Amino acid sequence: MNPKDIFSYAFSAIKLRKLRAGLTTLGIVIGIAAIVALLSITQGLQVAIASQLQRGFATDTLIVSVGRGFGMTDSGFSLLVNDTQTISQLENVTATVAVIQRIGYIKTPDGQVFPVTIVGVDFAVYKEIYSSTFVAEDGIIPLSPEENAVVVGKRVSDPWKNGTLRFRAGDAVEISWTNIAARPFRNESYIGNVVAVLQEVGGFTLGGPSDTSIYIPISKAQAFFRTDKCEMIVVKLKSDDKTTIESTSKAIRKLFVDQVTVTSATAVLNIISNVFSTIELFLAGIAAISLLVAGIGIMNIMLVSFLERTREIGILKALGMKNRTVLLIFLCEAAIIGLLGSIIGVGVGLGLAELGIRVYDIGGFGMYQGGQAGSINIVPVLTPQVLLGAIAFGLLVSLVFALYPAWRASRLKPVEALRYE
Amino acid sequence: MDKRPSMVTVVEAVNLKKTYMLGKVPVEALRGVNLKVEEGEFISILGPSGSGKSTLLNLLGALDKPTDGKVLIDDVDVSTLNDNELAGLRRKIGFVFQFFNLIPRFTALENVELSMAIGGLGRKERRRRAAELLGIVGLADRMNHKPTELSGGEQQRVAIARALANNPRFLLMDEPTGNIDSKNAYEIIQLIKRLNREKGVTIIMVTHDQQLAAEADRTAYMLDGLIVKETVNRA
Repeated sequence: MNPKDIFSYAFSAIKLRKLRAGLTTLGIVIGIAAIVALLSITQGLQVAIASQLQRGFATDTLIVSVGRGFGMTDSGFSLLVNDTQTISQLENVTATVAVIQRIGYIKTPDGQVFPVTIVGVDFAVYKEIYSSTFVAEDGIIPLSPEENAVVVGKRVSDPWKNGTLRFRAGDAVEISWTNIAARPFRNESYIGNVVAVLQEVGGFTLGGPSDTSIYIPISKAQAFFRTDKCEMIVVKLKSDDKTTIESTSKAIRKLFVDQVTVTSATAVLNIISNVFSTIELFLAGIAAISLLVAGIGIMNIMLVSFLERTREIGILKALGMKNRTVLLIFLCEAAIIGLLGSIIGVGVGLGLAELGIRVYDIGGFGMYQGGQAGSINIVPVLTPQVLLGAIAFGLLVSLVFALYPAWRASRLKPVEALRYE
Repeated sequence: MDKRPSMVTVVEAVNLKKTYMLGKVPVEALRGVNLKVEEGEFISILGPSGSGKSTLLNLLGALDKPTDGKVLIDDVDVSTLNDNELAGLRRKIGFVFQFFNLIPRFTALENVELSMAIGGLGRKERRRRAAELLGIVGLADRMNHKPTELSGGEQQRVAIARALANNPRFLLMDEPTGNIDSKNAYEIIQLIKRLNREKGVTIIMVTHDQQLAAEADRTAYMLDGLIVKETVNRA
């Protein structure tokens, strides 16, 4: 029997039971769609992270912060703004900047109040360290700023990404903060002057500029928050090679008698990257399970079909059909279902990924919020490998699970098959 | 066409035995059958149900393997063939079953085509031949009907056309009129006789109907797994 006839015979058998074939196909569609959706989202995420890296995540920086990890008892140690001076004397260190952070509120020119992260830094050094991200889109970041100078993140100015701006350079902004150390608590506030709006940074930040923060001079932060303590010190190194990062990290920890945590941006990026790889694998695994279920569905249907068509197989054999041809017909039926399901599944999966990203965008992370995380723009990525891999996988699963029913069908004894009622 | 058996043996059973296991009880369906069918012959095998005639037919058609003895088709011992060769051999045999055994989703034409498709014949050629065969069995105007749209007699005609499709060495018919009303049964047997007489088709027909059996040139009587008597109905 020639291949075309085998195909059309298999196809006619599928067509006969449209609903059943449809439901079997649906199983494959769901499995493949899940794999494609999850993989294209996580790959999109990885691409976003990679682009973050390329846009100057400042891989040559170390973040020095208080504490030795989760669950450790607070020793009462604090980093001081002045500690930058001692760190600066270490080998391989080219610049240091102390960062003071508080959650506070800003009032827009039209009177609305929003929570925001207020960050106190030395503008000049900060700009030197984050030369590609601490960049003004509107206005100018002054190197020796006035006390009331304020630089605002992109999302603080344009929270809905639609051009409705809350702040422009030159606007006045009332900045307030609740002093909870004072008794009774009291709100402190001052009127700042927006000197610059930052370019969009996007994504994760580690010590670096964030779209959802506002920046004020360090001296103003010290006075306003009534503190000499800082949350972290960002250290710029001569290079981002592993030995420099490790030796300097060690030196800093030694300097502060292990009371600080030193985090390397590169290390964090690697960790994030690894985490995503793991997540990707995990999600793909879950999706693969759904495909496995679909495969068992195919096997089930094929076995039912094999029982139903026992007599038909007997007829075919009486007409001189070879065992191999019977096997091929059954496999061909599975292949048609698998291929169809996979192709539809890829389409549905991409649609789901798009939808997922939308929901994610609306659902929180992408929105303006007080924390460090800004929005990260994810575009689902479907690489040719994933596309072809998913289709091949769907096909393979279908074929593997059809193998046993097809084999049984091919081994049927003609007499017994013909006698079958 | 004048009919003279050419004395070329098409199929031969030699001391054919077949034992089934019914649960744990062995049942001897055939107990040493000898039968020779010559080219161009029309032979009927007559016997009550359970006499082993269907078992004999299955063995002659290479659908089943004997427990002992031999089936020779064109002097080839069937038991020496593997599954693939058996499949090839079956293409040279035309089966006609009591219950027609057509593929329900195919039209009459497609059913006839199917056996040729299995033989690897091209689409155009087999379509032409299927139409021709359906014309021979008198179904030229019913070609595009599915089995459910055809009467029992018509379905059996399709089955006969299908059996003829690959120019078989002989036809094996298992109660070909067993499931058809008497008027149509008469027409079917006339068709069978015509095929035998005019086209020289060798026919082996199993039946429990004496009248039908008498239509053949020769009748073998079966009882309890043995051929007990053979008669020549007409020379």
